[in-house]
Amino acid sequence: MALDRITGEHSVAFIRSEQLFDWARRNSLWYLAFGIACCAIEGLMSASGPRFDFDRMGVFFRASPRQADVMIVAGTVNKKMADTVRLLYDQMPEPKWVVAMGACACTGGPFREYPNVVLGVDKVVPVDVYIPGCPPRPESVQYGFIQLQEKIKRQTEERRAARHDRR
Amino acid sequence: MLPDTTVVKTVLAGVTQAEVSTSSLGVVVHVPHDDAAATLSALKASDLGFVMLVDLLGTDTGEDVEITYHLRSFSRDEELFVKCALSYDGVLRSVWNVYASALLPERETAELFGLTLAGHPNPARLLTTDGEGPLLRRSVPIRTLEEVRDR
Amino acid sequence: MTDLRDTVLTHALQAEGTFGPGKAPAGIKRIPKGVDGLATEHLVVNIGPQHPSTHGVLRLVAELDGEEVVNVEVAVGYLHRGIEKLGEHRRYHQLGTLMDRGDYVSGIHCELAAALATEQLLDVEVPPKAQWLRSLMGEINRIASHMVWFGTFGLDIGAMGQFLYAMREREALVDVLESVTGQRMMFNYVRPGGVLDDITPDAEQKLRTFMRTIDAYIDEHHALLGGNEIFQKRVRGVGIIDRDTALSFALTGANLRASGIPYDVRRDKPYSAYGELDFDVPLGATGDAWDRYLVRMEEMRQAARMIGQCIDGLPEGDVMAKVPKVLRPPAGEVYACVESPRGEVGVHLVSDGSDTPYRFHYRAPSLFAMQVLEEIIPGNLLADAIMLVGSVDIVLGEIDR
Repeated sequence: MALDRITGEHSVAFIRSEQLFDWARRNSLWYLAFGIACCAIEGLMSASGPRFDFDRMGVFFRASPRQADVMIVAGTVNKKMADTVRLLYDQMPEPKWVVAMGACACTGGPFREYPNVVLGVDKVVPVDVYIPGCPPRPESVQYGFIQLQEKIKRQTEERRAARHDRR
Repeated sequence: MLPDTTVVKTVLAGVTQAEVSTSSLGVVVHVPHDDAAATLSALKASDLGFVMLVDLLGTDTGEDVEITYHLRSFSRDEELFVKCALSYDGVLRSVWNVYASALLPERETAELFGLTLAGHPNPARLLTTDGEGPLLRRSVPIRTLEEVRDR
Repeated sequence: MTDLRDTVLTHALQAEGTFGPGKAPAGIKRIPKGVDGLATEHLVVNIGPQHPSTHGVLRLVAELDGEEVVNVEVAVGYLHRGIEKLGEHRRYHQLGTLMDRGDYVSGIHCELAAALATEQLLDVEVPPKAQWLRSLMGEINRIASHMVWFGTFGLDIGAMGQFLYAMREREALVDVLESVTGQRMMFNYVRPGGVLDDITPDAEQKLRTFMRTIDAYIDEHHALLGGNEIFQKRVRGVGIIDRDTALSFALTGANLRASGIPYDVRRDKPYSAYGELDFDVPLGATGDAWDRYLVRMEEMRQAARMIGQCIDGLPEGDVMAKVPKVLRPPAGEVYACVESPRGEVGVHLVSDGSDTPYRFHYRAPSLFAMQVLEEIIPGNLLADAIMLVGSVDIVLGEIDR
């Protein structure tokens, strides 16, 4: 490129804006501070604590759903809570993702037999990553976030491939 | 420690028809539910000094709903259980005027056993949404394995 | 050129005019024009269930007069998952797993309450080593739980630094718990008849290291948060619970002791090894939020003292009594209670002679602590309301059960 000749070799990088934005999105996933039950202590408080330090992955909490990218559903969802979960999901702006953390949010967990419990939060909102465990270790939650980052990267590439096919 | 059953009988003599007995739980007083508030008042005001309602719970005995009031006296380090029997779909009369700690447990017991609350400042449902049945009754089943597997 | 400020100001005044008489939404209390001619109204504000500082899914419906809370109603049930109902369909040694998820921050105490109730029904004697291990793990869990309270209490007031200090201490303790029980949170450690396993040498080493520094760390935390003038101004004299209110609302634990009533289940109805341990029970004077804070900080120091005694005085022997694999207690009814960091956790257990309980009731101290909020919050500012929710230390898992 002409710019290289002026500034020196490999001094200019080219990237599509879409790739840049998705890279930024992957590495600064801000989650909604929304701990329902026991998993909140492990996955939200301990994982953000000094030992497991979510912040080094660019992840920290936002109090308002309008400012959040990810909703970590940490805990059992029951019929009363389902409306609130759906409302919060709808209030989050696109692009948004949902992480179902813990056995309760995945499929109902140890309380699945009780009629008041919803068998998994994916009955209420679309889920991107499931993290099993009761409760999952903070490292599991961070691994789940790494999987989410991979998923976002894959989605970018799939979108690009789809556009290529359409041409 | 267990309170003296004769003292309890004396305190409740003029108030209601009370059956005082001792079981694995401790000293248990069976009274008709209509006299529950009067019984608790008398026990609170007496020298026995039952100043705290530690807990209020319901039990589905199969024939009726048994309400248990768990009382504690700090001055004498004694505990007492007052039990009343209520019919299914009966009326749970609130004792919040005697012990304020009964407020939320009564709402919960009435809701989960299908009773109607009377004399309560806020008799609304506490835990479940409208339309949910009396979940703690033994006749209400929990989900089967098939229901859970085919979610 | 028109001054834009005039335009904006006129717009604002016009917007004010749209909330004229008769145009407010239904249910809002209207107060007629005051001395300065301005009409005001009470505003009903919903706090939660999603809120950064409601300690779980608590919903408060507050009626505000300006910034002052006039009335507050608690709405719970967002975590009602049937711990009591499912207890009727579980075996007796599985009740601990249900109780664990009630007060999830102090699992050992809740498991212990269920185990004590079952043991009372079975009339089985727990070996001394298991008793001491129960006390040891219980006090470790107490400091860990109070650290969570300490961190989040500061967050409620707006202080963020102490949260990370508290989490650091908690991680050290959770390491020890994981060494012994295998789990960071749902321990499955205390079972009817005894405990799962002995303390490992690795865990003992970690504990002794922790004991060398904990007193200094608690002093550091107290200086960091309690020594802060802003914190003291926000907390002193706010949310006073007097003795009569504390008794009539059935408060227990630190909330009761901060109001001056000296009742501690460990001392007054000793269970496990507490009869042989040497500890003081801190007592408050006025029952304001500052007293509740001080009582809990001192409880942490006393817990550290007890941990030292337990490590040094641990007897030899079995960790589990001889109990059958499937427990069938004789028919009967018992109430067993323990002193958890939240207060008195009780289990009211009714057995009909079969292998599953007939009725399993969890007496939750947080339910009563939350009830008293409706009494102490009105009259305070909204920011103080949030602080008071933190000062009574509630956990929604055990309120909703």
